[in-house]
Order: sequence, then C-alpha cells, then structure tokens
Amino acid sequence: MSASAATAAPRRRLPRTLVVGLVVVGAIAILAILGPWIAPYDPQGFSMRMRLRPPSAEHWFGTDEFGRDVFSRVLAGAHHSLLMGFGATAISLVIGVPLGLIAAFHRGWVEEVVMRGVDLMISLPPVLLGLLILAVTEPGLFKTVLAVGLVYVPIMTRLARAVALELLAEDFVEAARARGEGAFHILVREILPNAWPPLIVETALRITFAILLGSALSFLGLGPQPPDSEWGLMIAESRPFISEAPWIGLAPGICLCLLLIAVNVVGEGLRDLLDPRMRGRGHG
Amino acid sequence: MAEPLLDIAGLSLAYDTARGAVRALDGVSLAIPRGGAMGLVGESGSGKSSVVLALLGLLGKEATVTADRMSFAGEDLRAAAARLRGARIGTVFQDPAAALNPALRIGAQVAEPLVQHRGLSPRAALARAVELLAEMGIPRPAAVAQAYPHQLSGGMKQRAVIATALACEPELLLLDEPTTALDVTVEAQILDLLEKLRAERGVSMLLVSHNLGIVDRLCDELTVLYAGRVAEAGRTADLLDAPRHPYTRGLLAALPRIDRGRIARLAPIPGSLPDLTQPDPGCNFRPRCPFAAAGCAAPQALRHGDARAVACHRAEAVRDLPWPQPEPVATTRAPPGASLLEAQDLARSFSLDSGFAGMFRRRAEVRAVDGVSLTLRRGEVIGLVGESGCGKSTLGRLVLRLIAADRGRIGFDGEEVPPKPPDAFRRRAQIVFQNPDTSLNPRQTVDQALRRPMERFGLARGAAATAEVERLLALVRLTPAYRTRYPHQMSGGEKQRIGIARALASRPDLLVCDEAVSALDVSVQAAVLNLLGDLRDTLGVAYLFISHDIGVVAHVADRIAVMYRGAIVEEGAAAQVLSPPYHPYTQALLSAVPVVGARGRAAARMRLAGDVFAAPAERGCRFAHRCPAKLGAICEDQAPPVQVPAPGHRIACHIPAAELARAPAALAAAE
Repeated sequence: MSASAATAAPRRRLPRTLVVGLVVVGAIAILAILGPWIAPYDPQGFSMRMRLRPPSAEHWFGTDEFGRDVFSRVLAGAHHSLLMGFGATAISLVIGVPLGLIAAFHRGWVEEVVMRGVDLMISLPPVLLGLLILAVTEPGLFKTVLAVGLVYVPIMTRLARAVALELLAEDFVEAARARGEGAFHILVREILPNAWPPLIVETALRITFAILLGSALSFLGLGPQPPDSEWGLMIAESRPFISEAPWIGLAPGICLCLLLIAVNVVGEGLRDLLDPRMRGRGHG
Repeated sequence: MAEPLLDIAGLSLAYDTARGAVRALDGVSLAIPRGGAMGLVGESGSGKSSVVLALLGLLGKEATVTADRMSFAGEDLRAAAARLRGARIGTVFQDPAAALNPALRIGAQVAEPLVQHRGLSPRAALARAVELLAEMGIPRPAAVAQAYPHQLSGGMKQRAVIATALACEPELLLLDEPTTALDVTVEAQILDLLEKLRAERGVSMLLVSHNLGIVDRLCDELTVLYAGRVAEAGRTADLLDAPRHPYTRGLLAALPRIDRGRIARLAPIPGSLPDLTQPDPGCNFRPRCPFAAAGCAAPQALRHGDARAVACHRAEAVRDLPWPQPEPVATTRAPPGASLLEAQDLARSFSLDSGFAGMFRRRAEVRAVDGVSLTLRRGEVIGLVGESGCGKSTLGRLVLRLIAADRGRIGFDGEEVPPKPPDAFRRRAQIVFQNPDTSLNPRQTVDQALRRPMERFGLARGAAATAEVERLLALVRLTPAYRTRYPHQMSGGEKQRIGIARALASRPDLLVCDEAVSALDVSVQAAVLNLLGDLRDTLGVAYLFISHDIGVVAHVADRIAVMYRGAIVEEGAAAQVLSPPYHPYTQALLSAVPVVGARGRAAARMRLAGDVFAAPAERGCRFAHRCPAKLGAICEDQAPPVQVPAPGHRIACHIPAAELARAPAALAAAE
C-alpha cells in the first residue's frame, strides 16, 4: 500500500479565553506568593489615626476600622483563596477519581456501596456538609481546605465513573481483556489517559466553587481566624461599615470576583482545547 | 426528448473548514427523467450525500453551493428548494431510528406533511396516513399509527419514513442509503416495496448507496462519484457489465461477490481519497490509477459516448488491458489441520431488566446463544452469518471466554478452557473488532499498542520488541514510520490493519473476526480480506469470521455456519451451504442478498415476513414463526432433527433433505 494521506495532527491553537484566564490567574498567584515582600504596610499593623480612610495614593484600597492597609491585607489573604481552590480540588480529585474508576470497573456490590455513599453525601447542601465537618473540630485554614475537598469528592467520583463507564464499553478495553489484563492495567493504562480531558475541565470549573465555598465558610467564621486576613473573612468583618467605608468589603470582593472569573475562563478554555467534540473534524 | 424532471449541471460545493475550503463537489451533473431511477454510488467521502443535501437546500452556512443549472420540473431549485422539499420532493435517510421523532406517534408524523403542505385537517391527514401505512405493507396500520417509534422494528420504522416521504405524492424521492442500517432480509422487503412504488406510482428516484447490488436492482441509470466528481455515468446494466472508467473497474474488481464464490484474491484499489482542500485540476483518481499516463494531469471532461459518459481520456485505450491482479503471497495452502477449538453446548442469556426493576419483576431473558456446538480446525475459516441479534457476536465472545457462559464447555488444542482462562489461552486466541475507531486506544501510539501484547506474554522486550513491531507492520503492509502514529492520524483501513496487527502480536492460533471488514469501504475491504487470507496461508491462523455480509463470508470461509436466534440452523462446507439443499432460513438469506448482475432473479426470491425479534418460540423450531416453508404444527411443537444430506453438512429442519434439495438455487450464478 502506498503512503496514504495521513492527516497530520491538527495544530491546536490555544483558545484566547484560555490565555487570558491563565494570565490573570498567574498574576494573582504571583502576587499571592510575593505578597509578604511587596505589601506596602504590615497587614496586621494597627494605626488608630488612619481609621476608615478612603482609597488614596498612600493606601490604594483605603484602610479599615483599625487603620490597617486594605491593599496589604488583600495581598496577604490571596494565598488563602488560592490554596482553598486548588488544594481542595486536588483533594477531591485524589480521593474521588480512584473511587469512581473502581466503581465503574467493579460493577455489582462495590459500585453500589461507593455510589450510594456518594448519593448520601450529595444529598446534603455543601455549606451544611462543610459546617458539619468543621464544627466537630477547631477551625483553621487546612481544615477548611480538607472540608471543602471532601464536599466535592462525590462530584468527582460521579464524573470519573460516568467517563470510565463509557470508555470501558469501547473495543480497545475488550482487546485488553482478551489479553487477560488486570483491573489496574485497564484502569491506569487504558482508561485514565482518555478520562483526563473531561476530568481536567471539570476540575478547573470546580476550583471556582471551592474558592467560593471556602470563602463562604470563612465568612461564617469557620476558616482562618482573625487577625489573619482572608477575603471571605474580610468581607464579613466589613459588614458594620458597609455604608461609611464600602471599600473595606469591596476590595476583597472584587478580587474574589476577578479570581473566580479568571479560573472559570481557564476552565472554559480548557474545555475548548480538550473536548474532542469541540475539535475541528475532517470533512464527511 | 421530454424535459427531465431533475436537471443539474455543474454543481459544485465547498465547505469552509478550519483547514481551508474543502471542495466536496466539483462540477457534478445529472439528470433524471420523469419516472426514472438514478443510482448515485461512490465510497465514503465521495460527496454523494452532499448532493442530496445540496438538492434539498439543507446545507449549513459554511457550505457554498454553485451550479450552472439546478432545475426541478422547470423550477430553479436554488430558490424553490424550501417550498418543494416535503411536498414535491420526498426524502428518506439512512437511519429510520434517527429520522423519526421518538416523542410523537407514527400516525402524527406521517400526517404532518399533509397538514403542512396540503392544508388537510389533522383528522383527515391522520386517516390518509393510515392508508399510506397500509400501502407500505404495514400490517394493522391503524394500530401502528397510534404507536411510538420505539415500539416498531427497524424495517417497520423505515416503511413509516417512506410513507412520510410519499405523503404529499412527490414526483421525486431522494433515498440516501435507505437500507444500510437494516438487516439483509428486511432490506430485501424494503427494496421490494420501493420497486413496487416505482411501478405503481411512477415516482422518480435518486438512490444514493455504496452498495452496487441495490443500485443494480432499482435503478436504470447510474452515476459513479469519485472525490466529488462524476467518474462515469450511463445505463446501470452497461456500466456494471462493462465499466470503462478505471475507478468503476476498480470498484467492481474489489467487490467480493457471492455469485463468484471463493476466488483467490480480490483486487484492492491502492491509496486513498485525495485531499479535497487542494483539488487536483487533472484527473483526481490519477495517483491510484494503474493506467495513469502523461495526459492524465490535464483536466478531464466527461466524454459522452454511446449512452454513457466517462471522465477519462484513456478509457477506450485501456479498455482491453486487464485490471492488475495482486500476486498471491503464498502459493501453497496447507489444508486445515487437527482440531483446534471445540465448543460444546454453549449457552448464554441476558436479563432484560437489571438492578432495581429486576428485583420486583419476573426477569425477562433473552437467550442470546442457546446450546451451540462448534468445531474449528487449525488454519480453517468458519464464517458465521445471521441477522443482527442472532447471537453471533455473543458466540464469538463466549468462545474467547470474554463473557461468561451459562453452560457448555470449550476445548482448545485438546485442553479444557476454564471460565477464567490461563494466559496461555489468552495469548493464543485473539479478537479483531468491527469498528476501527474504537478498537484502538486514542492515547496510545501504534508502537505502544503493538508492544503491549508482547510484554504481557513475555514474548519480546526492548530492541527485540521493536523489531517485532516492525515485522508486524510489514505483515499488515504498513511502513515502520507508522510506529509513532496515533489513531487519529490514520485512515479507517490503516487503523483496522493495526487492530489486526495487535491481535497477531501474541502469535495467536485463533482469531475471532467480529465484522472485521464491515466498516470499511470496498476498495480497502478488499485489501484487508486479502491480508487475512494471506495470514491464514502463511501463519496457519484459524478464523471464526463473523459477518452479516454473505458476499464477504462466501469469499473467505472454508465452512459456513448460519445462526438464527441463538442456534446454528445450518452448517457445512461453503459450497454446500451456498447451494441446495438449504435450510429455509439460509435460502431466504441468500435470496435476499442484492447481487450485482442478478437482474431477473426475482423468480428465486423468497421473502421472510417480520424480523428476527418477532415472538419467541418456546419450543419447536425457532424459525417456525417466519418460515415460508413451514410444514404445520410439528414445526411449532417439536425441535427439528439435524439432517446430514452430505458428509459435514448439517441442517436442522423438519422438512426432509430430499425435499429441501429441490429448492431453486438462490444464487443465479452459483456453480
């Protein structure tokens, strides 16, 4: 047979949304890391003479009721939100995906136990579930991350199972069975590489929810404790001053929005990039 | 000469894609007279479905249509398509399940165009719909009109779709692969119906199909498309008896034909479709043409001769040159050796409702395979044929122990194969799948896919494995450069060959080929069939060759087993099964196959009512409810005896073998 027209791998152009989102998220991440060094003031330094000052050249985002620089506090709190988003999602991924794969592979009672457990967890509202996990122990950043991560385990498990079920029906899996391959090989070598794209897209979108839920829990006082600065906590603390000094709550609120939108845009961009249905097909 | 009903000249079509403009059609012309039937054939990617969509004006924004002339009964189709379709032009698409709205009753769907175009009241339209359904040969039409699509079988659905297309008495019927999704016996019923409609109503037809046999049966005229251009056009009989364009000749040479029986080798067409983003101004078949010469780079106009048009300047010059036949690889073929696989009384049922529902209801079961015994010798090819749902794929997987059997034993090379077979069995018994798109892991390179079986069974490692991968690629006629390719970088035929190479990587003695060539175009299918034949001859591999295409099976198989609803009803050497005496089901299957060059075969036709999913027979012969030769109560009450009209030939039927032998040969040209 002659060399036939092998369609060259389509050159994948990065979607513009992905690039923009990544730039914003990257910038926020860099600011969060460099925060302690570039902050113009001590985020926890009181200054009673400078209480409730509006944004100005010295205090870009103004000052709060204790005269602390809001810009410095926002910088210091950025890493909390990022850790909350990425850490919690990583936890849900690490626990949820293997559970989902195993449930898909071992139909029968294993699947029933895993999936009914997941159903049980999903039936509780996320905030309530987070509250449940946090209420029994002392609050703190890493507990919040863990709690948010556990809340999203069921969603990852369900998705991983659904994706794996579809892939397990494909002929190449039957070919692996015909070679007498074991569960580990089939799941790790045959299924997982094909399951990544939808999982990554879901993960990216899930980070948004994790940040939001983390901030909500902080708002309720179950995250990092004062005088630590966390965006959700800052918003909670700003409530009494909402009319006289709105910038105290607005600054972390707008930053939170920006981060959420950027992460979401990255998720959308990844979906455009990785979802095979979106990829340009040849002529029919 | 009267003005043709449909007259198209210079139809071109370009799709705007990310890779640039794809020129799907390039100057296509065709004309259908009133009452005429035109066949439009070509392989996938030839643009035949695009013609239908362009006629109907149903192409999206990314398509640019240009034409010198597009007229239907004197009206310009470009302006009037939206008004004419559904009213004066009826359409039937390939998949009846997708054409019908699952949420609406059949009657309402057939009646809809009458309300829409004729302004009938819904009640009158429904009454007319029931008449139409009756005309389509649907039993109990009033009840069917009240049914939802999922309650009907595939053949019934397609009849309903045809009824819808004919509701407004269109002058032209566009049929896009109308029977491709159907079983061969059902396909025969639909073809009969279309033939009758044409005779009674005088409706004109444009039949798009990849199957030359169907076109031969229904159409007076034929247009062959290749990569968006007309290669040859003329009277069907002339074209199929004496094709002139090299592409038409190649298509016919590559076709496995049941009436030719087992010929040594098919002639594949090398290469693949040209890249339509850069249309070749000259003959676009040139790179694949065995007769290509210097003048072929010039644009080829359709040359009109005696009642035919050919787009090839050398057609007459090379008409007496034979189409090149590939040389056989092995000249000597070892006769089938000792017994390799012995399956005894295999059975497997599937529960219809599972899980929660099954706990409360009595479980409904389908006996997919019901007590089948099969023996396969070394280097032997057994063809397993039957309609969809007869259990042939289940049997193939049972034999490999890929699904658990309810009962029965399997012996392989003299040893019992346990339900969880040892690696030695897994190594020696492999499978090739139907769909090349799903049989390879999209994230693995060819090298990874072919290397894994060797590592799994400890056959080769490192450099030795690399050498082995290249040997396998050579075996399936691919260059070592394919090692680094991913599945999406290969064509369907190439992928299928990688699937075969992967199955061969563990040096098996048995291959189960589950519809291994069904998804391929004829020219590629021929190459893969030749390859499978060579591997049997050189490596002594035995095949269980599962296919619904009896032409393909007749070409490859030493022995043929005919399956019906979970049991083998006839089994024997290929020549024995393909000629009388037949089991009545075999006879029906064979006479249903549309064969090229079998005009006037109508006398031998035997038609089955209903389809394979009709009411199950609890005892007696499982074919009794559809059997046209049923003797009477005995067929329904007693299991049929196995008769042996000749050594190795077994027929499970109550009718005496001597009487079965008097059946007319279902294949006109069978020796």
